Amino acid sequence: MKNRLITLSVNGRNYRLNVEVNRTLLQALRDDLKLVDVKYGCGSGECGGCSVLVEGRECINSCLTLAVEMEGRNITTIGGMMRKGELHPIQQAFIDEGAIQCGFCTPGMVMKTASILAKNPCPSEDEIRRGLEGNICRCTGYENIVRAVQTASRVMHESDIQAAGGARP
Amino acid sequence: MSEMTYIGKSVPKVDAREKVTGQVIYAAEVHLPNMLYGKIVRCWEHSHARVTHLDLSEAAKVPGVVKVLGPGDVTRKLYNTGVLDLMVPEDMGKHLLGDIEDQRIFTDHVRHQGDAICGIIAESEEIAEQAARKVIALYEPLPVYLTAAESSQPGAFQFDERKPGNMAFQLPEQMFPNNAYGWGDVDAEMATADLIIEDTFYVPKVKQCQLEPHAYVAFYDQSGRLNCWTSTQMPKCVHNKLARLFELPISRVNLVSTTIGGGFGGRLGMVFEPETCAMAMAVPGHPVKVQSAREEDWVASESRHPGKYRLKMGFKNDGTPVAADAHFTSDAGAYFSHSSGVPFTAGSWLTGMYKYNAVRYKGDCYYTNQAPSGAFRGYGNPQTNFVLEQIVDQACLKLNIDPVEWRKRWHKQVGDDGWCIGVPYSSCSLDECLDRGAEAIGWKEKRARYATQSGTKRRGIGVSVMNHTSGAMPMLLEHTTCTVKMNEDASAVITIACSDLGQGSHTVLKQIAAETLGMPMEEIHLLVNMDAAGFDIGSHASRTTYVGGGAVLKACEDVKRQLIGRASTRLGIPVEELEIRDRHVVSKNKPRRPEGAIEDAADHLRNNVWGVGASMSIKEICNVGVYHFVNPMNGEANGIPGQIQGYASYFPSHNSPPFGACFAEVEVDIETGQVQVLELVMAHDIGRAINPKAVAGQLVGGSHQALGMALTEEIHYNAKGLCLTNSFTDYKMFGPLDMPKITTILVENPDPVAPYGLKSVGEAGPVNPVGATANAISNALGIMFTEAPITPEKILLAIAAQGLA
Repeated sequence: MKNRLITLSVNGRNYRLNVEVNRTLLQALRDDLKLVDVKYGCGSGECGGCSVLVEGRECINSCLTLAVEMEGRNITTIGGMMRKGELHPIQQAFIDEGAIQCGFCTPGMVMKTASILAKNPCPSEDEIRRGLEGNICRCTGYENIVRAVQTASRVMHESDIQAAGGARP
Repeated sequence: MSEMTYIGKSVPKVDAREKVTGQVIYAAEVHLPNMLYGKIVRCWEHSHARVTHLDLSEAAKVPGVVKVLGPGDVTRKLYNTGVLDLMVPEDMGKHLLGDIEDQRIFTDHVRHQGDAICGIIAESEEIAEQAARKVIALYEPLPVYLTAAESSQPGAFQFDERKPGNMAFQLPEQMFPNNAYGWGDVDAEMATADLIIEDTFYVPKVKQCQLEPHAYVAFYDQSGRLNCWTSTQMPKCVHNKLARLFELPISRVNLVSTTIGGGFGGRLGMVFEPETCAMAMAVPGHPVKVQSAREEDWVASESRHPGKYRLKMGFKNDGTPVAADAHFTSDAGAYFSHSSGVPFTAGSWLTGMYKYNAVRYKGDCYYTNQAPSGAFRGYGNPQTNFVLEQIVDQACLKLNIDPVEWRKRWHKQVGDDGWCIGVPYSSCSLDECLDRGAEAIGWKEKRARYATQSGTKRRGIGVSVMNHTSGAMPMLLEHTTCTVKMNEDASAVITIACSDLGQGSHTVLKQIAAETLGMPMEEIHLLVNMDAAGFDIGSHASRTTYVGGGAVLKACEDVKRQLIGRASTRLGIPVEELEIRDRHVVSKNKPRRPEGAIEDAADHLRNNVWGVGASMSIKEICNVGVYHFVNPMNGEANGIPGQIQGYASYFPSHNSPPFGACFAEVEVDIETGQVQVLELVMAHDIGRAINPKAVAGQLVGGSHQALGMALTEEIHYNAKGLCLTNSFTDYKMFGPLDMPKITTILVENPDPVAPYGLKSVGEAGPVNPVGATANAISNALGIMFTEAPITPEKILLAIAAQGLA
């Protein structure tokens, strides 16, 4: 198998990797970079456990993506969500709403939520549920995850308004 | 108990922050120096065959392969991945229930697709997989049996000489005459019935589908210890079973319980620990990791027992259930595993539910060439719920009795025999569950409205009730050991072997400890370490909060007893006049500290700060117990020596069964057969909710699995016994868009014999939405469906055959 040298940024840190061209992004992250917060759940893009964020916006299944396709891209995993030791509002919302049970789907769910809210800061419940399709949770029945997305949306929206100099609604 | 600080509070899960930052360690994340990678080589092309030729030489030649292991290169000892044999006395398990060991690490007789035939150990996962493809295996195909009806035929291939006719289990004649349990004369009572409803149902093979695929690391280290990192839900039982299998003392097996990425019964016993440990034993000094693929889970791990479930019930015109006669014949799959457990227990939920004049339950199971059946959340209860609750509704329809009223009239109450005949129910709030649930969903109004409908979309509303258990006493061993060590600064470490599958058991165990000790949760550490912790059966039978919580409570009470005893000696006040309050041992006469007032150590030496009565801080007692000195000048000690440690080896006296009522509303498209579940109301008799949000989470999450069993989920095999649904695409679980609106109602009337009055909830969720959904569909269409899942195909066929009501 041919190898190729790629550079990519993960959670704000730049990496140079010599990867086989058939190596998936999931393998590169988990096995080569030891970023094991990205989960292997099925390896076929059906469970969403390996979801990562590309350019802060698009959520992809890293198990279905070749590492070489990510040349020059910025990737965020759940390990890169905290800012200055503080939880991201999405992470806080997942805790507060009881959206975490076994936690295995959580890294993917949080990244999927980040993508949903990046594209649509105030989604309806139906838009949230539609957006979460593709990420499987077997513990929660999705109810508290949907609530967590709603809470995160509200908190992030309020802090946006505050940042822009506005008052709390 | 009126003022409680932690009980009844929805504190966040103790591991939520680690989980939401991606920092928890599941077994797949364990990485050790010099680690090698193991691959279990499975038979994918047959479900029943003899291996006539196994050639590993080409695999061994692949660069980077360290070792190849055939069936003769590992222990040939037989074992049983299930753990029921550890929960009953040996003579009962072996002789009465007929528990047998029938599995081997690598087999030359493939009994289901995915049976393990050999193993590869290599320097990387990729090399191991590459080598696995070079294994040459030749097979002699054997006849394939997919159901009990096929394998029980005379002349069928015999799976095991100890089990004639391929009958893995039936209720033992010595315990239960005519291989049935129950009470009364069923035939005589049935003869008095005004109405008899009888049908044979099919319950499907459904999968736990925990999100974390099975992964392990095992390491036979230079000190001669076998270490195994696993996300099993039964760490102590697996610990014991691995020690037996590899003929080591338990103290030479170090079982490390990693974070569990879901279990639901799927990790109730050993899964691929034997194969992984056998590989590690073959390369001493090198850890071996086995990361199984999702596809392996479908074919090689256990599922819910599928099968035929016949139920005949007789009623009087006034609704009296004169008799129930049931027979559940299930498919054991390829190995014994839980063959005695599920067929036995499924009937308990039937006998435990209603006041029949007479009832008879028969349960048996037969080997087949499907993946083994085993434990899945609910353990026979969802199967019984699908059958029993539909028969009851059919009778209510014929007798023109409201299904809610019938259930209120005939369900068992406090003092009636529980699911285990002879152990009476200690509490029951099912009436309140039914009343509040019916009101929340608008039962009467909707029931009336849906009685007359036209158009292509028909709505229906259904109800189903359930009983379950909190722990498996007295049927199975119930025992948890707990140690509470008080540090010198009065913080505490609880050592226990209870696992947390994600349901939050570690959170509620800490809540119970904090409440009992009267100290902040933040100052308590829960240590789950199999070397340090004493026995615990494991997380099954909805027992961890009930029995584990009872053990924590007892051990904390032991701590309190010691603290009060020492304070009594120092203060010269009898123990009965002392209590613990605000982290002090105080005289009961001492008034409560005013809100906001600060009491420091100096105040305590002076005593009597807030009025009469002495006190001693817990910190001081703990501190001087560790830092014990004798003044050389006067020979006086600074306190009583000895670090405080509380201990409990706890065997509960009861099983405080929870009850629940579920209401479901559905809309059925009669042109497409599509069912949309519009709403579920789940009212649950919880006794007392330690953490209400976690309780609701169990109900809602469990309902997801119930709705799947009722409507979409089933493992299918082709005629050769090869699995057709081995992916999340082919096996349809409810997604976020499919889930209905769900209302949970927690009915809290503390159980008199339970720790803090709590009852279980872990297995309640996946049970009665099954029956409620089926009854709602039947209410919508006027057709009862006897086969789950109730798919659009079955609905359209039934409408075509029977017409709409």
